[in-house]
Amino acid sequence: MIYFQEATSVLLSNKLRSLLTMVGLIIGVAAVIAIQVLGASMAGAIDGLLGSMSDNSFIIFPNPQQHDVTSAAIKLTDLQTIRDAVPGIVDAVPVAGINDLVRNGHNEGRYRISPESSIPFNTLPVQYGRHIDQSDVDAAANVAVLQHDAYVRLFPDGGDPTGQSVYAGPNRFLVVGVLEPPKQGFLNVNFAGQVAIPWTTYVSRYLRGSSLFAARFVTADPASIAASEAAVIKQIRAMRNKPELQYQSFDKSQVTQGINGVFSAMTLIVALIGAVSLLVAGIGIMNIMLVSVAERTREIGVRKAIGARRAQVLAQFFIEALMLCGTGCAIGWAIGIGLGALVNGVAIVRVTGSVPPLPWLQTIVIAGTFAVVVTLAFGTYPAFRAASLDPIEALRYE
Amino acid sequence: MNDSGRAIDLRDIHKTYENGPLKVPVLHGITFTIERGEYVAVMGPSGSGKSTLMNLIGCLDRPTSGTYILDGVDVSKLDDNALALLRLRKLGFVFQGFNLLARTDALNNVALPLFYAGIPVKRRLKLAQQALENVGIGDRGHHQPSQLSGGQQQRVAIARALINDPAVLLADEPTGNLDSRTSDDIMALFSRLHESGRTIVMVTHDENVAKNAHRVIRLLDGLVVADMVTEPAGHLL
Repeated sequence: MIYFQEATSVLLSNKLRSLLTMVGLIIGVAAVIAIQVLGASMAGAIDGLLGSMSDNSFIIFPNPQQHDVTSAAIKLTDLQTIRDAVPGIVDAVPVAGINDLVRNGHNEGRYRISPESSIPFNTLPVQYGRHIDQSDVDAAANVAVLQHDAYVRLFPDGGDPTGQSVYAGPNRFLVVGVLEPPKQGFLNVNFAGQVAIPWTTYVSRYLRGSSLFAARFVTADPASIAASEAAVIKQIRAMRNKPELQYQSFDKSQVTQGINGVFSAMTLIVALIGAVSLLVAGIGIMNIMLVSVAERTREIGVRKAIGARRAQVLAQFFIEALMLCGTGCAIGWAIGIGLGALVNGVAIVRVTGSVPPLPWLQTIVIAGTFAVVVTLAFGTYPAFRAASLDPIEALRYE
Repeated sequence: MNDSGRAIDLRDIHKTYENGPLKVPVLHGITFTIERGEYVAVMGPSGSGKSTLMNLIGCLDRPTSGTYILDGVDVSKLDDNALALLRLRKLGFVFQGFNLLARTDALNNVALPLFYAGIPVKRRLKLAQQALENVGIGDRGHHQPSQLSGGQQQRVAIARALINDPAVLLADEPTGNLDSRTSDDIMALFSRLHESGRTIVMVTHDENVAKNAHRVIRLLDGLVVADMVTEPAGHLL
């Protein structure tokens, strides 16, 4: 205990020196801790970014840069066949969209009208009314579900618009639902249009020709989505009897993996920066400990003359290094947590809609590990040197 | 363990410093004994080897050859840790420059050897307070060394040297940094300690200080040239 008291008084008597020594450690630990906090938030944030994208849907489209584009095109009539032939596929819908002026009295705006099935691609819950259902699809009903921004523009007075109609050119659609506003912040993944109508309605009103831009398929099991994608592509090739046809697939897990990949790279870079700054900080700590040992040579001589054993002198300087590192890491941890919480509160919250919890335990363990590792790596030698001093030489030291 | 009653028993002590290929002999065969309760001054000009002898007696160093028995323990062959324990249990050092720890109050300075001896903190501080009272500065326990006069600092150092109840109190020019009046006070304290039965070995080059001892050993060129029992003049001079 006396070791801690003495170490505290030594470190406090050289406040500026102690602080400067710790700066490197503080920066390194703060960077690593902040990235840990953001890493934990990021998992939730990615989900938030893509939150409205259904995770059991995938889109297949022909690769436009292939020789036989015409054969590769997915046709409307293919959808039913694929749905029946490929196990696990529960729905198949054309992916399309048309920009048109949509009006409600004086209020109007250009919006993308897109086909939707009873299993929506956009999983946002409804604010008013309901989603498009199977009976709408079966009947090719003239109904529409509005995304929130279209609703705000077309119904500026607010209120429940269900039962009212909007016009797109000559077509009249009965509004049956309004989606809640999306939570997306900076990365707006929006494949669905602002005005969703039953895909059967879309086919009869807007689809020209039978070739589709792409098709969306819904699987029963999101876990086997990659296998389903491969099965669908294989089925199309078999139907055409052309195994050379090229298709691309897109689903939520691909985007998630992409963002995760970018973030892992970022984490690695910050971890490397942290490691380098910890190395530099450690060398600084070793340097200042050596200075401290040199300055206190005489004191060490007195302690040894009085009867301090080697291990006791070693312990004293080791604990001093540990306190220096511990304090530095604690301050760095606090700054890192603070930075992380700030970014959570300012940016992440916009994406996910809630402040993600801070990874207290994980970051404390990391900061504590750094303190111990840096102490062991850089505090041992100065302490060893102090313990090895010859008492006669040390007492003679001026 | 100690049936001889001898505090210090030096037999044919040689000490040679090796500085690379250069061998510097300093002590050429020192033999003397100091009984318990003696008050001995070791004198000699600089270069006579008295510092080296002091380091050997203080268990800070080992003789090149010869036998040194401190309070019944043969010191000559002990390793560093055993020497440290011996210094802790059987020796008390008083230095010319006081050598108190800065940033540490008098009480904790005095208690330091007890910390290394593993005595619990409450008992440490209680014993340290008693030791300070014994040297007449019981009211200065919470002063930092920088807040104390030279004489007071040396009293703290003496209290620290005595706290482990050592077999021998070693003093190296204990009045070297003090004015004459304060020196007299410290010498009076040493005499009082001697009267209460302490074994004291004091290195000095000051004849007036040496007069306080009741025996003077004179060194010259690494040999004992005189060993006389004098009339203890004490603090009356």
